[in-house]
Amino acid sequence: MIDFGFTVSPSSRINLDEVDKKSFVALSKIEPDVVKCMACGSCSASCTVSQFQPTSVRKAILSLQNGQISQAMDFLKHCMLCGKCTMVCPRGINTRHLIISIQKIYGK
Amino acid sequence: MTNILSVTLQAVTPEGIIDRYPNSYNHFVLPFVIGISFILVYLLIGLVRVLYHLSGEDRIKLLKSLFNPKTALKNLKDIFCDCLLHTKIWKRKPLLGYMHSAIAFGWFMLIVLGHLEVYIFAPRHLEGISEGSLYYPIFYRFFIWINPAHETLRGTVFFFLMDFFLLYVLSGIALAMFKRVRSIALGMRHTTKPSLADRVALYSLWAIFPLRLLAEGFTADLSGGSFLTKPVNWLFKAFFGNELNFMPTWWAYSICLGLFFLAMPFSRYMHILTEPVLILFRNAGLKVRKPRKGFAEAEIYACSSCGLCIDACPMNTQKKNLKYSSVYFIRFLRRHNNKKINEIAEKCLMCGKCAALCPVGVNSPDIRRVQRETINNSVGYDYSYLKDYSDKAAAELSDKPRKSGKVLYFAGCMTHLTPMIIKSVEKVLKAADVEFEFMDKDSGICCGRPLMLAGKTEAARKTIEANKKIIEQSGCSILLLSCPICLKVFKEEYNLENIEILHYTQYIDRLAKEGKLILEKKEGSLVYHDPCELGRGCGIYDEPRNVLSGIGELKKAQKERDESICCGYSLGSLTLDEKDRSKIAESSVANLMANAPDKIITACPMCYKAIRSKADVPVLDFAEIISSSISGLKQNS
Amino acid sequence: MKKNILIIGGGPAGMEAAANLDRLGYNVILIEKDKQLGGHLAKWDRLFPDGVSAKKTLDALTAELSGVKCFTETNIQSINVLDKSYNAILSNGITVLADAVLMASGFDLFKAEKKEEYGYGIYDGVMTNADLEKAFREKTLPSKAPKAIGFVHCVGSRDEKAGNPACSKVCCATAVKQACEIKEVYPDADVYCFYMDLRMFGRHYEDLYLKAQKEYGIRFIRGRVSEVAETMDNRLLVKAEDTLSSKPLKVTLDMLVLMAGMRPSEAGRSVGRQLNLTTEDDGFFSSSDNMLAIQKSKLPGFFYAGACTGAKTLPDTLHEARSAALEIDRYVKDNFKEQ
Repeated sequence: MIDFGFTVSPSSRINLDEVDKKSFVALSKIEPDVVKCMACGSCSASCTVSQFQPTSVRKAILSLQNGQISQAMDFLKHCMLCGKCTMVCPRGINTRHLIISIQKIYGK
Repeated sequence: MTNILSVTLQAVTPEGIIDRYPNSYNHFVLPFVIGISFILVYLLIGLVRVLYHLSGEDRIKLLKSLFNPKTALKNLKDIFCDCLLHTKIWKRKPLLGYMHSAIAFGWFMLIVLGHLEVYIFAPRHLEGISEGSLYYPIFYRFFIWINPAHETLRGTVFFFLMDFFLLYVLSGIALAMFKRVRSIALGMRHTTKPSLADRVALYSLWAIFPLRLLAEGFTADLSGGSFLTKPVNWLFKAFFGNELNFMPTWWAYSICLGLFFLAMPFSRYMHILTEPVLILFRNAGLKVRKPRKGFAEAEIYACSSCGLCIDACPMNTQKKNLKYSSVYFIRFLRRHNNKKINEIAEKCLMCGKCAALCPVGVNSPDIRRVQRETINNSVGYDYSYLKDYSDKAAAELSDKPRKSGKVLYFAGCMTHLTPMIIKSVEKVLKAADVEFEFMDKDSGICCGRPLMLAGKTEAARKTIEANKKIIEQSGCSILLLSCPICLKVFKEEYNLENIEILHYTQYIDRLAKEGKLILEKKEGSLVYHDPCELGRGCGIYDEPRNVLSGIGELKKAQKERDESICCGYSLGSLTLDEKDRSKIAESSVANLMANAPDKIITACPMCYKAIRSKADVPVLDFAEIISSSISGLKQNS
Repeated sequence: MKKNILIIGGGPAGMEAAANLDRLGYNVILIEKDKQLGGHLAKWDRLFPDGVSAKKTLDALTAELSGVKCFTETNIQSINVLDKSYNAILSNGITVLADAVLMASGFDLFKAEKKEEYGYGIYDGVMTNADLEKAFREKTLPSKAPKAIGFVHCVGSRDEKAGNPACSKVCCATAVKQACEIKEVYPDADVYCFYMDLRMFGRHYEDLYLKAQKEYGIRFIRGRVSEVAETMDNRLLVKAEDTLSSKPLKVTLDMLVLMAGMRPSEAGRSVGRQLNLTTEDDGFFSSSDNMLAIQKSKLPGFFYAGACTGAKTLPDTLHEARSAALEIDRYVKDNFKEQ
């Protein structure tokens, strides 16, 4: 490797043109509620796990829409499916099923 | 023609021949023999298959249970009560119960008495297949005519009993026919659509006993009969003269029996033979481990497709959800329709009402949970953070003094969304001078039950392990819970030694009985909602009612105890959406309001939230109403 | 002969419509279930965005009602449609034969105790927007200054679980107004507004927002409060997510004000049920046309004004009341020409 005296880091900008939308469409077929989020943050605020690890359904949905799959998975991998987020979601999103569905579709 | 002639000829031989067929055979028995042989072989293979799929541990358990006199006695009792008398159906719907017991017990008695008759009067025919032992007791009246030995009281008693039980069965069949036309009259709103095999089996079953009456009626003057067959015989003679053209009816009778047995394995009537096996398994304490094999297979074939679970299912408030009932789940399992199986498995609320009401006792929520396991258990997770937490929390709690009788209170995730419950429990404990430690005051971790319900059993083990460590380190003797969802998993999966696990309804009942909590009776009328996991899940029905009847007038809901209607917000369902849940909550509230109580009381944070959002009358948590009924305590602190 | 117009509900909508119909020469009967006229306006202290006195506004509305027959503490006992009129029996025993009826039943405030996790009725420091206005009016705020105060927007609004998916329109502006006011009372307190979206849509509303930031130092946190717990020293531990920094957040407060949203008035709905008036999914009455004829119901001679057809601000309500009066005038003139 030749040292040019600088490195090229990948752009931190979200590029929506490059987002693979197919999986998201597949996801919204199994759990249509995925498109209902209005980003109020109730889920992350009440989350039993979020005191230990960054966990958030809201952020996972956002990351998926932005094509940041591994980041999305990181936001859910600590989840214990306790269902508090379902109880507090003002849009009535079935978050437990959404979480399992995301993990099934993107987790491979 | 020659056949009939030979019969007639033999019949008039002078010395009153007993055995008309020395070779013990007539062609008409063939359909029956084919049918019964088929079903016996099928049953044997099925049994071997089911036993093969049981785990080694389960097989040993089963074997031991068969030789344990206590379980053996229970097996006998259960088989007699459930398979023959159908006491479970009697209790809920007497007419339906009568129908089942008439057919099952009546038929059973006909078989037993038939064998007994052969044993007493023609014992030679029970000696082996070549002697007709397979069919002789069934067609006894054909083969053996006026037997001098019958001309005694013994014979008359048999004739009477056989006619009596035939009439008993016929009354059941008549009810069954009526039920087909009008199932509402027998207390069922919904019933299942029969498949082709079901129809074949059903119609042949219906035909068997009327044909038996005809066949035996035709021969009643020659082979003997009693109050039923004799008049029939007389009628026939009045109409058809003295012609003895009875052969076709015996053929038809045999064909129907044969058809019934041939169709049986592919129809719902397989439950008749499978149920005893299921009872043996259940009493041996076996558990469902695979959704399609072993114990589950016994359950699947024991389902009678009666459809009682359709009416029982809380989702039935909407017609579109009828298809998720247990009966269809089991039907699809039988047919290996995987797409449908998973869809139904994920929709269920796991409230357990179908299992509680199932006349056969099929625990389909358990099968659904295991089915979910096949899909979701492998879904990835990372719980490495739990260790740090449990180490820290355990250290904090173990610093505190260890005393015998120490109470550790675990509120659970959901209860943190209902601060009233936490506050009330604390208040009640203080009023009763109970020293306690609050395990998850600043929110702990999940009990594991939601993961189990979702089929992520392996993941659940991790949270169970972490919580278990904290509880054991705390040195408590009583673990007090306010959430029934937690209660169930703590009781069934934690194996906490020397620690009593109590729901607060149980603990408050105990405190009141011990006189540590004095309650005033100043409430008006109350209705108590049985949370699924507390009632059907853990069998706690009486404790809350004991206490509540001491502080107010307890009214009945339309359906309660093991028939109570889920609030709709159960964590059991994975796919049910908010709108459907909300509809279920409405029906649950309507059920509670049947006798217009002043207040609704429940004992689960989920039910509390769900019912509160729908009810027009005040909805209080059990601890909440108790905390305001404590005598000598200032209210509204 | 003067035509009879019955107005159900003596809040701003009913009062304003009554005054206008009176001026147009009708015999107006205004009924109100409470002791006094004014509806929620009578319970408020000051109004957004300019902080004008609610009492002065109410007095101005009342001054126009000299020719109107007002019955307070009166309900509709029964009402039915006759050939071309409405026959209403009131709870005070009077029977009214009305040629047209105006429904101005307004709204009920969402019952904040239904959002159990916010602890209303459980913790002392938790109150609603209406409780705070009352405290402002009656000057009953605690003398011991709270250290920190929070406002929770959208309590029972935009919430399917609470049965109200709609935005209640006025809470954002009310919360910002109240936040400024409380800061005037307790200048040293930290004041937080927890919002989902800040909907400052009206004239001068944005000014109010800016003032709250610049002059009062109100801290706006974009995140919905999910849980309120009690600390050892009886303060309120509030949990939310600061969605902008993507971190769960907790803060200890002494006072938490819940901005209870608008639900259709129960009294109005019970009248609606007697006449089989249709409601939309949100529970508010459905107009015959949401664009062109928001004041008209499906029944001829039966009209709507104000928040009975959905959340509205006070100026919106007053405009609607005036136009409803015009619609009623036109209806009577078209249908009762010969007399």
